[in-house]
Amino acid sequence: MTGYVLRRLLQLLPVLLLASLGVWAMVFAVPGSPVGALVGENATPEQIRETVARLGLDRPVLEQYWFWLLSALHGDLGLSIQSREPVAMLIAERIPATIQLGLSSTIVGLVFGIPVAIISALSPRGWLDRALSGWSALALGVPTFWLGILLILLFAVTLNWLPSVSAFVPVWLDPWGAVVNTLLPALTLGIYVSGIFARFLRAALLGELKADYVRTARSKGLRERDVIGRHVMRNALLPFVTVVGLMTASFIGGTVVTEAVFTYPGIGRLLIQAIDARDYPLIQGCIMFILVIYVLMNVMVDVLYAYIDPRIDYG
Amino acid sequence: MSPTSSGGAAPPDAPVLSVRDLAVSFGAGRVVRGIDFDVFPGEVLGIVGESGSGKSVTALAISGLLDASANVSGSVRFAGLEITTANPEDLRHMRGVDVGMIFQDPTTTLNPVLTIGRQVTEGQVAHRLISAEAADAQAEALLREVDIPDPAARIGQFPHQFSGGMRQRAVIAMAMAGHKKLIIADEPTTALDVTVQAQVLAVLARRRAETGAAVILITHDLGVVAEVADRVAVMYAGRIVETGTVDAIFRTPRHPYTSGLLRSLPRLDTVAERLQPIDGQPPIASRLPSGCAFHPRCAIGRERPECQTEPVLRDIAPGASVACHFPQSEAATLPARIASEARGARGAPLLEIEDLRVHFPIRSRLLRRRIGWVRAVDGVNLTVHAGETVGLVGESGCGKTTTGRAIMGLLPASGGRIRFDGEDITGLPRSELRRIRRQMQYVFQDPFASLNPIRTAGEIVAEPLRIHGLYDQMGGDIYIGGLFEKVGLSAAMMGRLPRQFSGGQKQRIGIARALALQPRLLILDEPVAALDVSIQAQIVNLLQDLQRELGLAYLFVAHDLSVVRHICDRVAVMYLGRIVEESTRDALYATPVHPYTQSLLSAVPLPDPALRNARRRIVLRGEIPSPARPPTGCTFHPRCFRATARCAAEAPVFASYPGLPSSVACHFPGAAE
Repeated sequence: MTGYVLRRLLQLLPVLLLASLGVWAMVFAVPGSPVGALVGENATPEQIRETVARLGLDRPVLEQYWFWLLSALHGDLGLSIQSREPVAMLIAERIPATIQLGLSSTIVGLVFGIPVAIISALSPRGWLDRALSGWSALALGVPTFWLGILLILLFAVTLNWLPSVSAFVPVWLDPWGAVVNTLLPALTLGIYVSGIFARFLRAALLGELKADYVRTARSKGLRERDVIGRHVMRNALLPFVTVVGLMTASFIGGTVVTEAVFTYPGIGRLLIQAIDARDYPLIQGCIMFILVIYVLMNVMVDVLYAYIDPRIDYG
Repeated sequence: MSPTSSGGAAPPDAPVLSVRDLAVSFGAGRVVRGIDFDVFPGEVLGIVGESGSGKSVTALAISGLLDASANVSGSVRFAGLEITTANPEDLRHMRGVDVGMIFQDPTTTLNPVLTIGRQVTEGQVAHRLISAEAADAQAEALLREVDIPDPAARIGQFPHQFSGGMRQRAVIAMAMAGHKKLIIADEPTTALDVTVQAQVLAVLARRRAETGAAVILITHDLGVVAEVADRVAVMYAGRIVETGTVDAIFRTPRHPYTSGLLRSLPRLDTVAERLQPIDGQPPIASRLPSGCAFHPRCAIGRERPECQTEPVLRDIAPGASVACHFPQSEAATLPARIASEARGARGAPLLEIEDLRVHFPIRSRLLRRRIGWVRAVDGVNLTVHAGETVGLVGESGCGKTTTGRAIMGLLPASGGRIRFDGEDITGLPRSELRRIRRQMQYVFQDPFASLNPIRTAGEIVAEPLRIHGLYDQMGGDIYIGGLFEKVGLSAAMMGRLPRQFSGGQKQRIGIARALALQPRLLILDEPVAALDVSIQAQIVNLLQDLQRELGLAYLFVAHDLSVVRHICDRVAVMYLGRIVEESTRDALYATPVHPYTQSLLSAVPLPDPALRNARRRIVLRGEIPSPARPPTGCTFHPRCFRATARCAAEAPVFASYPGLPSSVACHFPGAAE
């Protein structure tokens, strides 16, 4: 198993290398010169010459990439243009907050999505299934910013139970404070994603319920809840973990709108601020971070796959 | 097979299961339409029928496993319980404690993500017949009872680590755990190879004798029924049309459908000039014919006014009943089979294969380096003459289909020569190969998957002509219409889509498509394996007629030795990528000399209950090994009953030896003792 994980991580290297090339080359896609983007619009010719020399932009293109890559590998993603602080540090500060919100949202999504899927699949096309499918469609269809505002209105303004602005309170320092502060944004994202989870799991369960082994399980006289719980669920999880993994990656990679609504200090807001300020080193850093999260999440999904399905040989 | 029931002994009085006027419908489809039967302790009741006859639905109704969309009426009584109205808890208890079920495909019957041990015992654990702590020991004991080697290690394995035959034995172990009163086996060996089928049937028979359970054996295979059943019920269009002891059913079938089925069956033990298929198609449950559902296909009742009313099942002798206005008397039974001579080869060979090899690389996971070879085809020699049918037989995984595909150029050959009409076609450039391929066409096994569902039948048949740019030159639609007529379809059907055709008709379309380019050789890959017996005979006859009319050569790839005997002039037997024996049909079936051929032939169940105990049966050990790790020496030696140390060390050469009727690859060839 360990060997399999190591091998999968090793296989990531070329992917990440290619991704880094894309991220690095982004600067060249900016209208005007990259230097202009790096130093800002009001820079003097002096400053520009100085930056060009400092960044080595007068050297051959490949050498520039190599230089950038080496620094990146040493944890040096450059300085933010706006704040003059190291990009790596800015991102690192946001990581715990982002992961906390991302995981909480996924958990909320699972808590809502899995029961909805199971209940729907048990009586396909029955009235309960229709009602729950309506719920899923609604959860998917309502824009998150609007749902976020509604939740703030209800829980923060009207009932005054929860804060309307969600600060980052680390769960390991103050669990209750973390719940209070994370609940609303996590609900916003979780309700949305529960619609996706419910749809995928319902489809997977319905597919599995038609399988022959289900008939075999019933022919042994198992209780229906054991047929679902022991036999069907594990098989249906296979396609489901892919979706859960991807959605979790997308949350950890930053949820721009929700973080904005709740003024939550996650990667998403950092990225938006960076884009607003045309802070290219910071944009590069954020995007690289998001890419790494996606790729790692994919490996985790594959490892989970091998764990769930014995037919996948991770030897 | 068991001491209590051999030869269909008179059953004791109280039945285990009583079915009365059972009817099941799904919407407008009346799938089971009022059936009555009893099953007595210790007996094997065979329920025979073609697809759509309602036999599997009957099995599910008996076990209370039909889904909610089914409409059930009538009565099913099992050990004092009325199953049609029982509450779910009682049904669950009945299934867990008293009734075991064995299903068709052991690959899908078992849950892929749970261990075998757990699946074998979880029913007993759930019903508190054994404790959870005792489950492992129990699983081990159960697997040992069905001859699974090293059961202690096997209980922790998953289904994919078991071979097909072992999986089905595990399912039998599961179904027969505890003290079951009734076992329902729905096509239990249909998905298995014939040598494995023999093993599984033997295990089933032994476990049945040990447990004394009654068995309902549902199958389309008349050979298996003749071999295993005490009594038989024949189903057609949702009704039982005939019941009787197994001897009576096979010796003096009373219903025209039963005798029609027996007549349409190719036999391993004799050769008929021509099969006698049942005309037409089995009806569809939602569109049944009026009156007797069989009358449109019946040779006797087709025009008679009586057959416009549905006959009831009535007793005609003790233990025998028939639902027919004109049950046949003993005189009207099977016609004598006329032995037909296989034709000898003549003229220059059309297709010559010399030392053909098809190897697939096995690659390592990380760097995709080649770490070995799967030797799917490993040195095959074969010749097909014009107008001749050569059979290529063997069990799944022996390489017969790969051989056919390599000849067509659908797979690259790794070595050897393929000559067509004297011309070496191995390594020909693509354009040249296209020219040759016009003369060789391929008919696929699965008529359901091999026709594009969104093209009309006419377009499908015309496609080869369009690919070769010959559509107008050959005469366009008129020519295609002619092909439809030639394969027994009507030109008016050209505009229909594949789903509007039955299985047999689809295979006719597949044959018409193969004939479109006027080839000289057809490679027929299991062309009748997916079809019902009565339809299979129609297609076999069509193939024989076309061959006579067009002078076609056939390479007939198949696993069914009876069909092969009926249609082929020469037969080659493959095992693990090599031909082990090749001979004329008559010599091969009369005096096989390779031990593998002998065991194959002895494993085929014959549709004649009189031969049940008379035949010597060679039950092979184990199953066909992986071609990635073939055994040393003679690849058959681990399963061979004649193997010596020499066989493990030295591979025999395939050649014709003096004094033997066949070419053979064996150190110790010879007639079976």
